[in-house]
Amino acid sequence: MKFRYKVIPSLCIGCRTCELACAFTHAKDKKPGRSRIYPIAYKKDKYVPVVCLQCDDAACVKSCLFDALKRNEETGAIELNIDRCVKCEACVAACPFGCALVDDVHDEVIKCDICEGTPACVQFCPTKALVYEKI
Amino acid sequence: MVLIQINGKMVKAHEGEMVLSVLRREGIEVPALCDHQALEPGGSCRLCMVEITKADWDGWTKNVTSCLYPVEEGLIVSTHSEGVLEIRRNILDMLLARCPNSDVIQKLAEEHGVMKTSFDTLPDSDNCIMCYACTRVCEVLGKSAISAVMRGHKKVIASPFGDAPPDCIGCLSCAHICPTNVILWKDENGKRTIWNKSFDLITCKKCGKETISREFADYLLEQRDIPADYFETCDDCKRMELAFKMGGLVDGAEEVAI
Ligand code: FES
Repeated sequence: MKFRYKVIPSLCIGCRTCELACAFTHAKDKKPGRSRIYPIAYKKDKYVPVVCLQCDDAACVKSCLFDALKRNEETGAIELNIDRCVKCEACVAACPFGCALVDDVHDEVIKCDICEGTPACVQFCPTKALVYEKI
Repeated sequence: MVLIQINGKMVKAHEGEMVLSVLRREGIEVPALCDHQALEPGGSCRLCMVEITKADWDGWTKNVTSCLYPVEEGLIVSTHSEGVLEIRRNILDMLLARCPNSDVIQKLAEEHGVMKTSFDTLPDSDNCIMCYACTRVCEVLGKSAISAVMRGHKKVIASPFGDAPPDCIGCLSCAHICPTNVILWKDENGKRTIWNKSFDLITCKKCGKETISREFADYLLEQRDIPADYFETCDDCKRMELAFKMGGLVDGAEEVAI
């Protein structure tokens, strides 16, 4: 893996710009769908941007009976091949961090794919709480 | 790598791949109802028909289903020749007679200029086009709970003897993959019903949200090495859990720093 996606919760101010960036970047038919990243307040004014951790031994990959989820070795992301997905939602149920999601707008399963190497959330995060760096 | 010609344009294709997947990659639209990447190609709907020829075929052409035809060097494909369009219209004409109430078929037929079928329509049609996507997906899953029963025009997709299929795990893959949305299911009061079989849905231990069926989760646990408790909480609550856990770590680290 050549890159690493990193979140720095102490810098997150919960502005949710990343959510917008995500929903609009992955828009389909000119319609923004559901975001793949969520800044969640764990106490007053303290946030953690919750997003797919691209686990090494990922439960989503293991749960998929159709091999729709695969790691992109370039970006490090586990990508969902939507053409192989049958929406059984096994990955949604299996992900221990709740980061495989169902997008009701477009009626499909979604997960963070690091925007194929140029994550929009990272570009838009005003406080640099999200980092995508070379390792 | 092989070189083929599609509608007059030279295109590179991978050895052994089907013509339809090249068409998809090139953004050439060909209707294909029974094709899905999770399945082996089936060739049942016949809509993906294209015309092929080769330089040394003396002008002879052949109509093939592109989802089932592997590419070969020097293949010349035309996807919208008059002959192919005529075949597609005929197929849609027949599908429209079989599934007069299906909006998917109606829309596709209209797009191809078939406004009305020239055959007698099937009374009380269930909109099934017999493409076997449902039985194939169930097979890929390793269950084969449903199959075609009866012969000829009476053939339908059903469970053994019409009873609740013993092998069904309520994963809904068949219902989601069905191109004409024939397979119905219902989630109600923690129960899922499909193919006349009732399943317990897993309810999130924190918020009570319903997720997948218990049988499906058990099957996944049996097939794959996943910790069982991952399935007990819904995705919303798991995100909250992660936030609190990470938040705790952040606070802990800050205290150490001070
Ligand atoms: S997609 Fe080729 S026959 Fe249905």
